[in-house]
Amino acid sequence: MDFPAERTVDARFMEPPQPFVATMEMLDTLQPGEEMLLLLFREPHPLYRVLQKNGHNWVSELRADGTFAIRITC
Amino acid sequence: MQALLAFEQGPPVAVPARFFLTAPLYLVLAGVLLAFEGQAVFASRWTPAALALTHLLTLGFMLQIMLGALIQILPVVAGAHLPQPRLLAAVVHPALNLGVLSLALGFLQGASTWMYAAAVFLVIALGVFIAASGWALWRVPSTSPSIRGLKIALLALLITVVSGVYMLLALAGGWPLVLDRVANLHAGWGLGGWTAILLAAVAYVVVPMFQLTPGYPARLAWWFPRLVFLALLLWSVGALVGVEWLVTVARVLLVLTTGGFVIATLLLQKKRRRARVDVTFRYWQFALYAVLAALTMALAEGVWPALGEFKAWPLLLGLLVVLGGDVAFITGMLYKIVPFLLWFDLQNRSAIGQPPPAMNRLLAEVEAEYQLYLFYLAGGGLLAAWIWPAAMVIPAGVLIVLTGAGLFLNLVRACWRYRGFRLQAVVNGERA
Repeated sequence: MDFPAERTVDARFMEPPQPFVATMEMLDTLQPGEEMLLLLFREPHPLYRVLQKNGHNWVSELRADGTFAIRITC
Repeated sequence: MQALLAFEQGPPVAVPARFFLTAPLYLVLAGVLLAFEGQAVFASRWTPAALALTHLLTLGFMLQIMLGALIQILPVVAGAHLPQPRLLAAVVHPALNLGVLSLALGFLQGASTWMYAAAVFLVIALGVFIAASGWALWRVPSTSPSIRGLKIALLALLITVVSGVYMLLALAGGWPLVLDRVANLHAGWGLGGWTAILLAAVAYVVVPMFQLTPGYPARLAWWFPRLVFLALLLWSVGALVGVEWLVTVARVLLVLTTGGFVIATLLLQKKRRRARVDVTFRYWQFALYAVLAALTMALAEGVWPALGEFKAWPLLLGLLVVLGGDVAFITGMLYKIVPFLLWFDLQNRSAIGQPPPAMNRLLAEVEAEYQLYLFYLAGGGLLAAWIWPAAMVIPAGVLIVLTGAGLFLNLVRACWRYRGFRLQAVVNGERA
């Protein structure tokens, strides 16, 4: 899951609602089928609901250091 | 953007608020009981007053807040949606409170009628809650340690309830029962299983989120709930079939696992990026060190079993875990959750272009600080009462009453201010 920095939102030390805002802003810049990576220390279930409603797919992986790496397809 | 925490799909703020506003009153009741019956409380953990006091704190305060918070946060932490949350709260809240009050009266008066009533109310409250949250949780896959932890914690709650109701019926009906063995297991499943695993499962999310710390290492987060559950199972089997070495191994495993989690949390907090030390952080630090002290006592008892023979030993251990640890941790959490929920509701209601008031206008940090100082004083008072019960139970009881009253006042004040801002939002034109 190596993603370029310009397609990555590293929200691990951000306060709510910044992770959500940053993710939605990046999704706005992507074309359909393009992917982005969200890094967070929790699973963002509320974001998942919004992604689901908007027709995005995502795959989540928990890394050893406690980071959830979430690959979202626009 | 407000969908961030999915509270639109969650229950309205009044649902958890009724639990949060009722809980501090049990601290007040516990303080009153301590002031009047304190010498009996400190005489032995088995006196009616000690049993009543324990359950006013563990059910009336702790469980009450945990249930209210779970109804609100299960969608956020686990993506699990409870069926009919308003109806659930409308059943669970009154049944739980009638159950706790009946239980305390049953213990204090030794009256079987109150004990039967408590059993009925508590089975309704907790049976309905376990069924509803179990249904919601087992429909979601365990994709994170938090979800796995919540499921395991719920199983531990079920075992706690079954063992508690069994003992209650045995006491009321005069059945023969090896009370101390079952009571130890009941306390172990309630405090070590349900409470510790639940707090850990929630801490995995809220410690990094509120304190801006790194996340819990994945291996620790996955294994902590499983190891605690395993330790409690081994302890139960050992105790019920009379294999003492198994009980010892299980208790050592429980102490080491819990100690590992506490130390990991302290280390994470050292790496936090939020420089400001707020009331929640100070409550959590107090809780972590109190639990660490209790675990050290438990280990010492493992090495020198004679320590456990002193009547005062398990009392201090219980005080450290319940009041020093769990009550402090939960109160600290409350100071984050309540202003946030109220603020979030206002944000959803406020007209576009009119931001909601800052969170500290609902509950000022200095107000929470005064209550924290009362809590510190109450802790000191209890320690003094443990050493000199005859002289100190009344001051300690009064300090607990003030701590509970301070918390109640702070929460009511926040709700009152919320009401004012909400009326203002109506005047300004709520968002459609």
